[in-house]
Amino acid sequence: MNAVVHAGLGVACLLVPTALVGAWTVSASNRIAEESGAGSDVAVAAAADEGYCTADLRKVLRRVLQSCGLQSSGEVRGCKPNDAKSVATMSGEDFNALFRPLADRAGIIQFDLDSSVLDPADIALLDKQFADQRGASWFLVVARASPEGSELHNQKLSQARGQAVLDHLRRTFTDPDLDKEVGLLWLGEEFAQLDAEFCTWPRSGAAEECSSKELNRSAFVTWIDCRI
Amino acid sequence: MKPRIPTILFVLAAVAATLFAAVSTYDFVQHLDRQLHGIHCSFVPGLGALDATGSSGCHAALMSPWSSVLRKAIWGGIPIALPGLAVYAFLLFRGLDLWLNRREGSRNATVFLFMASLLPVVTSIAMGVIAVGLIGEVCKLCVGMYVSSFVMAGTALWLWLASRKAPAEAGDGEGVVKPHVLSAIEGVGFVLLSVLVYVMLVPDASGYVGTCGSLKKPQDPYGVMVPLDANPSEKTMIEVMDPLCPACRGFSRRFEASGLGEAVHRVALLMPLDDTCNWMVSSAVHPGACAVSEAVLCAGDQATAVFDWAFEHQEEIREAATQDPAKAAEMVKAAFPAVASCVGSPAVRSKVNKSLRWAVANQLPVLQPQVFVEGVRLCDEDTDLGMDFALSRLIEGRIAAEKKEEGK
Repeated sequence: MNAVVHAGLGVACLLVPTALVGAWTVSASNRIAEESGAGSDVAVAAAADEGYCTADLRKVLRRVLQSCGLQSSGEVRGCKPNDAKSVATMSGEDFNALFRPLADRAGIIQFDLDSSVLDPADIALLDKQFADQRGASWFLVVARASPEGSELHNQKLSQARGQAVLDHLRRTFTDPDLDKEVGLLWLGEEFAQLDAEFCTWPRSGAAEECSSKELNRSAFVTWIDCRI
Repeated sequence: MKPRIPTILFVLAAVAATLFAAVSTYDFVQHLDRQLHGIHCSFVPGLGALDATGSSGCHAALMSPWSSVLRKAIWGGIPIALPGLAVYAFLLFRGLDLWLNRREGSRNATVFLFMASLLPVVTSIAMGVIAVGLIGEVCKLCVGMYVSSFVMAGTALWLWLASRKAPAEAGDGEGVVKPHVLSAIEGVGFVLLSVLVYVMLVPDASGYVGTCGSLKKPQDPYGVMVPLDANPSEKTMIEVMDPLCPACRGFSRRFEASGLGEAVHRVALLMPLDDTCNWMVSSAVHPGACAVSEAVLCAGDQATAVFDWAFEHQEEIREAATQDPAKAAEMVKAAFPAVASCVGSPAVRSKVNKSLRWAVANQLPVLQPQVFVEGVRLCDEDTDLGMDFALSRLIEGRIAAEKKEEGK
């Protein structure tokens, strides 16, 4: 009797760990077979693509990047005013309107008359804007000149302003992608002049100095959060 | 056949311990399907709400390196709750045998019961020390086992002392060794058989190692990878992480306890899940992570010290940054004055951005931690219980056949 009870109890109690762990393990094996191949719904890291990226903005951006040498050569070449006009295929006013949604993203680096030298306030604003890349893929520098002087001189002046911005970025930010990200347009005095509406945007100039002339002695800089 | 009080208490404690160990084993075995599961954590075994957030002491204990053994050989290892369950089932058997076979007066039987019940007591003390000292959390199921073990040992001692006062039974004091050895063999048989069943039925996870993708652009053109050790190993392990991410801290601690540290050179790629710098999240999953990531990048040789500090203070940093986003920067600057002028500067903000763009270039999922050995991804399912198993194979290059084919 003792031996039978002993053996019976032993078998019953032995079944507790073995049967349980056996059943649970087999169940896990079955689930692993069922669940293999199930897709994941986790978001994948991607560049930003904000709501302001309208078809027109994308078109301009694509054309600037392709026609001005960025995507094809991987280097910044820049577009001079005539190129810019043909690239944009729109009026200067419509061109500026594309950038209106970027009021909180862009900065206007204001230069002195007939100067392409960045002063400390310009540098501070430029560094701040460039460091705030977030998910943006492209950094546009649109340099302009006010109407004083000849068209040719102002073309060269605006080119020098754009170049000064680019040179500073190259010196300050060791960024191997910089030449693939920065799109450079110099518009001289001929195309898409900024109007007083832009006075309220982040600027490096003094608050009281915001006539149209002062606004256009500038390089408009902004990250563009669009995928093209 | 009227049982004495200590016998009843012993059997009840053994039943409780068996239930606690069974629930604990069940929670562990559930994870063999490589999915996430809620965990029981209650003083009433099997009842109470499941912990699906990973915040309970039971979750910390289960995911700790001390919850199982032989992790490099078997995915997840052999849960220590399983031999525990077998031992408790054996003690239950011995208690019931004592009762039903009217052997409470047998000195041989009671002294063996007492000796056998010391094993879970010693184990409970060891695991309790590990829980408090190393894991820093106490698991309710474990506490249930500890208490039951002590009750069993106490009542077994009571039975033994009582049997010494009773008249000797036939066989008492004669040939003591042989019955004790046979009983011990029974106990060992319980453990071995349970473990054998587990080992035979556990799913083979080796087919998944190395099948979860690889980096498209593993190079570091931006110089944003942060070395986490000075190992000269030729194999590099990239951890995509966030200093305020609890899962990353858990992975880091498991890795450090795994003994695999010498086999790879560890580097971190920062991907803070904080919308102040990361456009890929709509809100701050880990508030303050951007500022602390900047500090890591600013710290140079001291980056691991910043990581250690951040891991240690994760909860308070996140809480403070939730109230005031500027607090995280203040806290890290106070802890590491040398980085104060660097944190928040355009240069380091740009560097954090480049870290995130590295993730974009490699089309990584927005989750943490992500681990790559020589560019091959450790499956997300293998970053906790299966880490030792899968990572050791990845490091040795023992990856599944599908991956090799894909790489051709």
